[in-house]
Amino acid sequence: MEQWLDFAKGPLFTFAFLFMILGLFRHVVLQIYYLIVRKGKRLRNAPWKKIILDTLSWVVPVKHFIPGTAFFSSASFLSHIGVILVPVFLADHIVLWEGFLGLNLPSISSGFADVLTLFTIVCLIILFCCRLFVGRQRAMSGTMDYLILIMVFLPFASGFLASHPKMNPFSWDMMMLTHILSAEVLFIMIPFTKLAHIVLFFFDRISGLHWQLRPGAGDKVADALFGKEARV
Amino acid sequence: MRTKIYPIKDILWFLAFLGLMSGIFRMWFGLGVTTNMVDSIPWGLWKILNMVAGAALATSGFTIGMLYYVFRIKLFKPLVVPSVVIAFLGYGSSLFSLLFDIGLPWRFWIPFVSWSPHSFLYEVFWCVSLYWAVTAFEFTPSLFDRFKSEKAARILHGMGFGAAVLGISLSSLHHSSLGSLFLVTPQRLFPLWYSSLLPLFFIISAMGAGMMFMLLLRILYAHFYDPEPVFGPMPKEGAITCSLDGTPVKATGSGKDMPMLETLAIIAVSILGVYLALKISDLFINGSWKYLTAGTWESWLYIFELLIGTVIPILLVALPKSRRSPTGLGIAALSASAGLVLNRLDVGIIGYFRDAGFVYFPSFSEWTLCLGIISATILVFLFFVENVSVFDENWKTRHVAKGIFSGSFDNLTHVLKSVLSETAQRVTLIAVISIPFAWIIQYPPYHESKNDATIVQPSIGLDALRKSLRIDGNRDGVFADFPHYEHQNRLGGEESCNNCHHLFLPGDKSTPCFRCHRNMLQSTLIFDHTLHVSAVADSEGFSGLHPENYTCKVCHTEGSVKTASNAKSCLECHNRDMGLADVKDSSLDISYATSYQRAMHGTCIKCHDLKAEELHKDQLNKCFICHKSLTPKDNLIDKMREPKLLLVENVRSESD
Repeated sequence: MEQWLDFAKGPLFTFAFLFMILGLFRHVVLQIYYLIVRKGKRLRNAPWKKIILDTLSWVVPVKHFIPGTAFFSSASFLSHIGVILVPVFLADHIVLWEGFLGLNLPSISSGFADVLTLFTIVCLIILFCCRLFVGRQRAMSGTMDYLILIMVFLPFASGFLASHPKMNPFSWDMMMLTHILSAEVLFIMIPFTKLAHIVLFFFDRISGLHWQLRPGAGDKVADALFGKEARV
Repeated sequence: MRTKIYPIKDILWFLAFLGLMSGIFRMWFGLGVTTNMVDSIPWGLWKILNMVAGAALATSGFTIGMLYYVFRIKLFKPLVVPSVVIAFLGYGSSLFSLLFDIGLPWRFWIPFVSWSPHSFLYEVFWCVSLYWAVTAFEFTPSLFDRFKSEKAARILHGMGFGAAVLGISLSSLHHSSLGSLFLVTPQRLFPLWYSSLLPLFFIISAMGAGMMFMLLLRILYAHFYDPEPVFGPMPKEGAITCSLDGTPVKATGSGKDMPMLETLAIIAVSILGVYLALKISDLFINGSWKYLTAGTWESWLYIFELLIGTVIPILLVALPKSRRSPTGLGIAALSASAGLVLNRLDVGIIGYFRDAGFVYFPSFSEWTLCLGIISATILVFLFFVENVSVFDENWKTRHVAKGIFSGSFDNLTHVLKSVLSETAQRVTLIAVISIPFAWIIQYPPYHESKNDATIVQPSIGLDALRKSLRIDGNRDGVFADFPHYEHQNRLGGEESCNNCHHLFLPGDKSTPCFRCHRNMLQSTLIFDHTLHVSAVADSEGFSGLHPENYTCKVCHTEGSVKTASNAKSCLECHNRDMGLADVKDSSLDISYATSYQRAMHGTCIKCHDLKAEELHKDQLNKCFICHKSLTPKDNLIDKMREPKLLLVENVRSESD
């Protein structure tokens, strides 16, 4: 178990983390490349102010709530607070930052981190249930949507249990290994799934410029969504 | 047509990124950690394969230039530009790999200003860098073609003859000098490969096999991009050698370029034939044929090398049937090129380092950097082939398939589908996968324990009672014989142990040096956390389900993050059992032990410096006092053993 933990903390972690960073960086580079190379002319007259304000308005999306999905949307928004704050600013993780990159970040207190973690876990469970039981969301959800929620849930739950040995029914080593491995799987998933919105979010509004549908684009969308048979 | 090259390009990009990472690690951590080279093996794969063999394969630049400009064989006109591109890229990559091979890469320009004309390598350096400049000059017209600057192109084309002649003289100079490099070490190189004709062998083989390499590239180009001139007209207009479902379409007859390629092959194998004849007659004249019949693996290697380097190409080209088929010519060319590379490896590494003490096998970093540079060179070559008029002047009219944008609205990922069509997306995806992979495979600290050369071995007793010790931590042959018993006696018997043995493992007495200073070149962490956790649990008498979980607060301050900085100082517990009773500073950190080399040097030299001053023996703190293997036999070291001679030596040096 000791060797497994060392391997997961050392080479495997580096691999996953580097993979995530490079993968996200690749998205940024490709976005900028395509914007400049393909849409150079359009960018010149782009309404930058509107784009930036629009992007900012989606950071706290209260304006964009639709009455029927307000509960789902707010749970989704609130879960982001814990998902961003806890992994980065948790005191135990600050030590990792310092060890790897020499960064000296401020940390949140462990009590606050516990509250945030539990809050995030509750939000994730609500999201999962919404997707599973509410008809509208169920219709929109694919396998990957459920998988993403589970994969975000796992490191939080296992991390919480690992840091509270009294509530932990399993051994500490086992929990820690689950925590690290699930986080690493999540890292590797990030660049290739919807989770890439970590960086792509900032290009979301600009990509309005991308939209220039070709003839027959609607059919392609239908093909991709429902398969060719559906159309016939 | 170009889709066939895609998987090959992907592999090349992957290797190139692996090479990029090993290049970064080589610059970051140094040669000692990333390569398997040691003091007795001062060069390895990079120098021989990338530099010597790479430059030899790129000789077509001057051989084709010679055939076209000097002998006026107009037949070879279509090969002039590609041969120059090959020379430019081959020499460029050779010089680039040399940057990683030399110890202080940022001082590569020193030979330009600090002249040392007696050195072969100095001449090689000058010729190679000048020749590279010449090939760059020869290559520029093609670039001007690309940018439609016809006037500049015409002027530069006109200067081609002068550049070619300059290139020919420079090439013939440095190729023979590379051979001369091995000429000066007859005692090291295996007799089969050693010969006073080495410079001649090097240049002749490079000329013959260089042409064959050119031929190989021409046929490969035809295979991947433009089959008609070589493989003959295709069955259908605009069809491809490989149809959509993957079945090959047979070509009919042979193309218009085949006569030229056949002529080139005949010239090349005649040169290789001369080379073979010279080599065999040299064996008999030198009398080293007895090594050939000795049946050792060297003799088999030598036979194999001659077989693939010369005999197979000569046979394949001599037979009319295989000569007239592009595939036969391609195999002959491949075999000759491989033979040339093998020859350089034999002379430079396999036959050369036989007395080095152990077998040199390149480390993973060496392989990846070597292959990475080669891959990057091929990619640049492909870039030129696709974007500049290298092989044919009609490249503009050829259909160049742009990456096809397939609007893939994938409801899961939106990434994977479009990745396969766009070059930028493909390449970046390969980078994202290969760089982390290269990191975990090559990052040196992950592989410290596997690098045996830096792990310290205990000293060797020179007699049964270990009165005299041979200190050779990494067993690389540079040792120091240490009269341990004599030092003990001279410094005051048992009482004197603490002079050198400054720290013991808990409960031990006079712990040997290598138990803590475990790495030859790097500091070692000797603090074992796991061991401490269980030992503290035992000594404090913890019990229950998880006894070891209670131990944290014994050393770490409660309520804070547990790091080394807020842990208890070592001396709070270990003030008695590790021989540190005299140390006053209670915060002394003993968790790291310096490198073995530094520990040995520090301890010995400090005392020897003092004694040299005290006893007025100014030789006492010199290197060869301990490292007797570093000095030639007739040096001062023998005289040092006889006090009288030493005096004479001292007097002489004073009078000087």
